[in-house]
Amino acid sequence: MKRTLPALFLALAASAAWPQANELRLFNWNDYIAPETVQRFEKSCKCKLVQTFYSDNEELVAKLAAGARGYDVLVPTANYIQGMVKAGWLQPLDLAKLPNLKNVMPQYLNRPDDPGNKYSAPYAMSITLIGYNEAKIKELGVPVGSWAAVFDPKVVSKLGKHVTVLDSQAELLAAALKYLGYSANDRDPKHWEEAKQVILKAKPYWAAFNASSYIKELASGNIWLVHGYSNDIFQADTGAQEAKQKFRIRHSLPKEGAALSLDVMVIAKDAPRPDLAHQFINFMLDGRNSADLTNMIGSGNPNQDAQRYIKAEIKSNKAVFPDAQAAKKLEHLKDMTPKERQLLNRIWTEIKSR
Amino acid sequence: MPKSALRKWLVGGPPLAYLLFFFAAPLLIMVVASFRSPGDFGGLAPLLLHDDSGTQLNLTTEAYERFFSDFLYTGLFLKSFGYAALATLLCLAAGYPLALLVARSPRKYRDILVLLVILPFWSNFLIRVYAWMMLLGPQSFVSAALNGLLGLAGLEPVSLLYTPTAVVVTLVYVHLPFMVLPLYANLEKHDPALLDAAQDLGAGAWQRFWRVTFPLSLPGVYAGAALVFIPAVGIFAIPDLLGGTSGIMIGNVIKQQFLDTRDWPFGAALSLMLMLSALALAALAARFGRGALR
Amino acid sequence: MRRSPWLWCAGIAAYVFLYAPLVLVVVYSFNDSRLNAQWVGFTFAWYGKLFQNEQMLLAARNSLLIALAVSVVSTALGTMAGFSLHRHRPRLLPALVLATIAIPEILMAVSLLIFFVLLNITLGMVSIVLAHITFCVGFVALVVRARLAGMDESLTEAACDLGATPAQAFRWVTLPLIMPGIVAGALMAFTLSLDDFVITFFTAGVGSSTLPLQIYTMVKIAVTPEVNAISTLLMLLTLTLILIATRLSPSVLRTDTSR
Repeated sequence: MKRTLPALFLALAASAAWPQANELRLFNWNDYIAPETVQRFEKSCKCKLVQTFYSDNEELVAKLAAGARGYDVLVPTANYIQGMVKAGWLQPLDLAKLPNLKNVMPQYLNRPDDPGNKYSAPYAMSITLIGYNEAKIKELGVPVGSWAAVFDPKVVSKLGKHVTVLDSQAELLAAALKYLGYSANDRDPKHWEEAKQVILKAKPYWAAFNASSYIKELASGNIWLVHGYSNDIFQADTGAQEAKQKFRIRHSLPKEGAALSLDVMVIAKDAPRPDLAHQFINFMLDGRNSADLTNMIGSGNPNQDAQRYIKAEIKSNKAVFPDAQAAKKLEHLKDMTPKERQLLNRIWTEIKSR
Repeated sequence: MPKSALRKWLVGGPPLAYLLFFFAAPLLIMVVASFRSPGDFGGLAPLLLHDDSGTQLNLTTEAYERFFSDFLYTGLFLKSFGYAALATLLCLAAGYPLALLVARSPRKYRDILVLLVILPFWSNFLIRVYAWMMLLGPQSFVSAALNGLLGLAGLEPVSLLYTPTAVVVTLVYVHLPFMVLPLYANLEKHDPALLDAAQDLGAGAWQRFWRVTFPLSLPGVYAGAALVFIPAVGIFAIPDLLGGTSGIMIGNVIKQQFLDTRDWPFGAALSLMLMLSALALAALAARFGRGALR
Repeated sequence: MRRSPWLWCAGIAAYVFLYAPLVLVVVYSFNDSRLNAQWVGFTFAWYGKLFQNEQMLLAARNSLLIALAVSVVSTALGTMAGFSLHRHRPRLLPALVLATIAIPEILMAVSLLIFFVLLNITLGMVSIVLAHITFCVGFVALVVRARLAGMDESLTEAACDLGATPAQAFRWVTLPLIMPGIVAGALMAFTLSLDDFVITFFTAGVGSSTLPLQIYTMVKIAVTPEVNAISTLLMLLTLTLILIATRLSPSVLRTDTSR
């Protein structure tokens, strides 16, 4: 018996150390690819998809900046592409290997942040907007068509500490700027000061800054209104229905506009398997595969070919697929310079410690 | 080399070498980093600047200047020390009786009782914190009981979650084994004969504890206090999840520098200031302790 | 030994405090609700799902392996360090040991990643183990030193007077006497490693996921009862492993030192 334990240990250790062949290494957001898509891909390429996860672009950037290597495909948000290219972390795409790129809607191709689609292929989108508990909001008579539901003390106070906002300095600033009527990418320090005041005035009525468990809190009925991502809010609704709650969770796209996040697939510069990487990207640009994710989490979809595979109730959801009028008010968030980031962080620290 | 010196190197050498290589060297990199500028897109700006006048070192004390000129950060430091100190005292109050109980249990039960203390911490940290969010949340019986009592006293109901109270309670919970284990390791050694002698000399129960047991257990108390206080100051996950809108500690600001603002020099500078002040406090406490023991 | 009623009350209250959240965790692992916010109904389904979840099981296996390796090495190094701190009073080691405890995890994480990349060390299970040992050694050292500080030196001196070499005195007198401290330190190192997130996040390689990393990926969407299930199983498994180990070699792991 004294010998079997060490032997067992060694056997376990050996199984952990054994190298696997023919893998594609995907560094992706949590829950950002449907399991059936993974299975379908593995069958079609006769390879294994190994996933590592992050829950924020900044986690991806921090790891890459510290030197982490060994990934093939990454899925950052589009506003990070230029920075990553300058830092030398990406390799150009071989467009000849991506015939399915033509499936993408033209307004999402050849964007200012990646002219000619040299480095990226669109994956999925989400809008940062308002999610709410339909029954509670109706009962309290709170208007949710504007950011005032989050920032106007007269409105928020009706919700008595059952509101959360995103724990993201960039997103909250963008929402406050939009509420004040400025662009979400406004960099004027005076406007930022105004936004700070707006946030500080509304903060006493918020329960928490929450980027992770607000889905659960919405679905369980503890929180009635959130500033969150459209796909999260969709999943909160699914969760509420599963838990047989007596309320639905709905989205609302505020009239002042909101931030749009387009997530893209890129290939790391020293990717071990660029061939498999291109295969994967082309695979995900196929309509059916692209639609899987939308059907699972209600994410926006830039793929024209995918539209026919998407469930009707998701297609008709104006927060996932906004109409042309609303789409005009959406903005992509642009990256900031180090000085701007420092200023924002100081504002953010002040907001969080008062 | 004389035998005693060789022994010193054989015993102290390996841990020293390991820590110098895997801890001090990486730390040195970050110390230098605190004097550099943030890179344009994250990470650090290049250390050497090449221009027409030659190559120069691209160093700056900007990060430290910002820290010292801005009371915001010092205030957060003090707040974090306060929370950690409170959590440490509560840990001591809760952990000491537990360690004493286990140390004085019959031999055959001690193993299992010690394991039972640490068993909960082999579940997952997040799950335990989520359980506390449930226990302190509006739908739990703890909240209901508390608010029931407050209602009887004619006071307004309070929310336990997203408050400093929630942060402190969870800090205590998460660090309790690190107080109990060192205390137990020390208390277990106490000779019952000393207590019997004290009783024979007329000492009451409290006196026996305060004049015999407690002073003998001081090394355990210091170890436990260090293992709770020092990590607690820099923690960020608990204030993030339970602290509400004003609950951040300095650990959160440090984390943001690396995972949000991409200002590694400032993050490194804050971390180093945190480490230095924690070490200074520990040194002070040790000196005070040695004095008190005499 | 006498244990007054007050001691009993305070001790039991402390155990209740320790186990209250845990009871919640275990009970809710049987909850028939994906969201797991309120109790809906009883089911074993999540345990079933767990055994089909290859990734989760793999992560659990990795966590256990890493924790085992880390606790063995850091207990050895930490005991040596604790001994050295107490007996030889060096100047650099105490500062280093306290610094490993004082350093914010994220700084250690980033600095280790940069360091590993500089030295071209491949990220994987080994890098995680090396990183964990770095922060566990200090905890063990402090506990062992606390134990040594309370120890009666006269026994060791007596052994030397009777002709034992310092090595023999250590092996047969000192070591058994400080064993509770070593065991306490080993338990702490094991627990710290099993539950670590920040440092593991930065130093893990592709495909070497641990349980905390795996659970973190579920935090946002669905911390389903599956996570409660694996937490419950992990606790039971670890407890079983340790109990088996104590039965196998009772002399090594006895935490009491009856003479």
